[in-house]
Amino acid sequence: MSTASASAAANPAADAVYNYGIIKRFTVMSLFWAILGMSAGLMAASQLAWPWLNMGIPEITFGRIRPVHTSLVIFGFGGNALLGTSYYIVQRTCRAPLWGGKLAEFTFWGWNVAVAVGVVLYMLGYTQAREYAEFVWPVDLLIAAVWLAYLAVFAMTIRHRSQPHIYVANWFYMAFILAVLILHVFNNLQMPVSLTGLESYSLFAGAQDAMTQWWYGHNVVGFILTAGFLGMMYYFVPKQAGRPVYSYRLSIVHFWALSFLYMWVGAHHLHWTALPDWTSTLAATFSILLLLPSWGGMINGIMTLSGAWDKLRTDPIMMFLITALAFYGMSTFEGPLMSLKSVNALSHYTDWTVGHVHSGALGWVAMITFGSFYHLIPKLWDTTIHSVRLIYVHFWLATIGIVLYIASMWVAGIGQGLMLRAFDEYGNLAYTFIETVSFMHLPYVVRAVGGMFFLSGVLLMIYNVYMTITAAKRQPRTAESGMEAKPAST
Amino acid sequence: MKHESIEVNSGLLIVLILAAISIGGLVEIVPLFKIDETVEKVEGVRPYTPLELRGRDIYIREGCYACHSQMVRPFRDEMLRYGHYSLAAESKYDHPFQWASKRTGPDLARLGGKYSDEWHTQHLINPQAIVPESVMPPYPWLMENELDYSDIEKRLIANKRVGVPYSMSQEEYERNVEKFGKDMADKLHIPNAEASLEAQATNRVWDGDPDRITEMDAMVAYLQVLGTMVDFSQYEAGELAEYR
Amino acid sequence: MAEVWEWLSKMENTKPLALVIFFTTFVAIVLYVYSGKKRKRRLESYKHIPFMDEDADEREPRSQRNNDDD
Repeated sequence: MSTASASAAANPAADAVYNYGIIKRFTVMSLFWAILGMSAGLMAASQLAWPWLNMGIPEITFGRIRPVHTSLVIFGFGGNALLGTSYYIVQRTCRAPLWGGKLAEFTFWGWNVAVAVGVVLYMLGYTQAREYAEFVWPVDLLIAAVWLAYLAVFAMTIRHRSQPHIYVANWFYMAFILAVLILHVFNNLQMPVSLTGLESYSLFAGAQDAMTQWWYGHNVVGFILTAGFLGMMYYFVPKQAGRPVYSYRLSIVHFWALSFLYMWVGAHHLHWTALPDWTSTLAATFSILLLLPSWGGMINGIMTLSGAWDKLRTDPIMMFLITALAFYGMSTFEGPLMSLKSVNALSHYTDWTVGHVHSGALGWVAMITFGSFYHLIPKLWDTTIHSVRLIYVHFWLATIGIVLYIASMWVAGIGQGLMLRAFDEYGNLAYTFIETVSFMHLPYVVRAVGGMFFLSGVLLMIYNVYMTITAAKRQPRTAESGMEAKPAST
Repeated sequence: MKHESIEVNSGLLIVLILAAISIGGLVEIVPLFKIDETVEKVEGVRPYTPLELRGRDIYIREGCYACHSQMVRPFRDEMLRYGHYSLAAESKYDHPFQWASKRTGPDLARLGGKYSDEWHTQHLINPQAIVPESVMPPYPWLMENELDYSDIEKRLIANKRVGVPYSMSQEEYERNVEKFGKDMADKLHIPNAEASLEAQATNRVWDGDPDRITEMDAMVAYLQVLGTMVDFSQYEAGELAEYR
Repeated sequence: MAEVWEWLSKMENTKPLALVIFFTTFVAIVLYVYSGKKRKRRLESYKHIPFMDEDADEREPRSQRNNDDD
């Protein structure tokens, strides 16, 4: 684990070395949290299909496992992947070593300690009950400190670049960092019960609190799960394809449109609630507009491959990346559809929403990360991947898992929505609530099976990565450690 | 200003991104704190009593919001199934709000008074014993754990600091007497908190066990007050519709 | 400041104002980005940035080299 991070920053740009040590650790931690987080997800899914799995143990009941799952996959898996890849991309596209030394180290340790402590506390019953912001206030403070350090490391690395232009991938990462900072601070304004305790009450109440929370909740999707991963896409898709991105000008236009539009749409999570009507109308309007920049990004990514479509048959990493973009396109179409008030009246509160989130989270976020990691890991350890065949197997396990997941959630969600609003010939409700619960049993079983497929794919990936890294370490080595690629001396 | 200068100036890039991402949130959130229409003027909404508040804390601890909403929407099926649609005023003392986003189980906004205390106790201990098809986890430990209310005053003070009208001074107490009546004002008086919690937990045998004050007592007390504060028979149909 | 928010909170004010400001900005960005042959050449040249450190990237695998890592 001893790396050259501190010394790297001290070097003048000319013979600087990239800091890869910290990226390696972020990558490994990302996969570590992926296994834990997805296992928690599989557990939660299974509990809904077979409730005896709650086993009467407080720490693992559904209500506590669910935030463990969401936080581990979003902040553990996704967060580590974004921090790691952003450090890789910013160094290579700016041709500058990572700035910050110890401060960069702090972002790694601080972030992972926050995630670990936060989810253990959920299991012990400490939560803020704000979706995707359940971490208690001391953990929130640690995250805020980490995030300021991250902003400093990233911005200062850009400042010290030897490439005059800031490549567009870094714009997306920058928007992600800035937006998360604002969102995190404002959605976690809490009044602690005591300074020595973990519990607190939110500063806002009722309708205002709901608006703040969903402004946060949707923009976590917008800036972590979209903008951040688009940054990843704008580097790794061109690199893996061996051709530059389709249109740089399109990337500029859709970047500004996406950054601007996303912040308006949070209230579409609160249609038909006690929130003022104008807020949700505004949110629905912007949600429709958001389709354009979203598809701008998808088209730009997929068209990067134009003229080299054969790579889709021959390169499993490319299959991951392009399938991710296809799922991104699909879920950014489904999202605006669900933000229409008439559709939302049916879909809200049902599993349709859960399915939608996962077509984005599994289809787009996880697939683009897997593709990028399969490209990145051999580069980091300066070797070749252990088995290309296993990447194929992983791809198909993941794809089958996602399809099972989404399809079953469509059935469960739309089915429950229709049953709940059905009337018999006398104008009475046709179904009781518990009848919809029975109806959802089968889709819940299928969903859990889908999750199993997806998780087993990740286990294969871990094996493949483990074999790759250990093989790389067995190679003959010199005393030089932790310092790998040198920037091109142009 | 040329776009080129944005592309080569990282400070400017940061400023412009901040501008682009701030506008949406400002326009949608800030007015909600200003305009009166956000929260209706209705009678009856009051802060939670100490026992109810502890119940709510446990509701949050167990993550009930992962499966139960507290927000009835203005649709015919929801009115028939749950009752009158929810008003913003009904959650104006909820820190945090518990509207939630998923109904794996039914909405709970109007749960209070629908079932007996005993039903709730048995259902929480073993949901499948009451509703065989239910997928709800059992919560037997609520009955086993003694309720910890040693820091109840601190909890009320924290709520008071964020705007919930619990009373500390005599003056605040008088104001509560006027607004909520003497009985309720006594319960909302912070110096009385411990005594009032004990009284409420023992005057009605929420969990069927009169000897101990359990987490179940607090939980059932909270569930039984949900949605009962506003007396909707006082309002004409449609009178509240302008707020939607 | 309070009056400004008050004014902004009214839909009939906010709607056209927002539309004008942001649509103008958007059109300006699009016009800027998509006008001029020189600008096109300049902007599109940036897409090659990820490939500029190829020589470090396309090195021989480690077995043929003697440069190793941790």
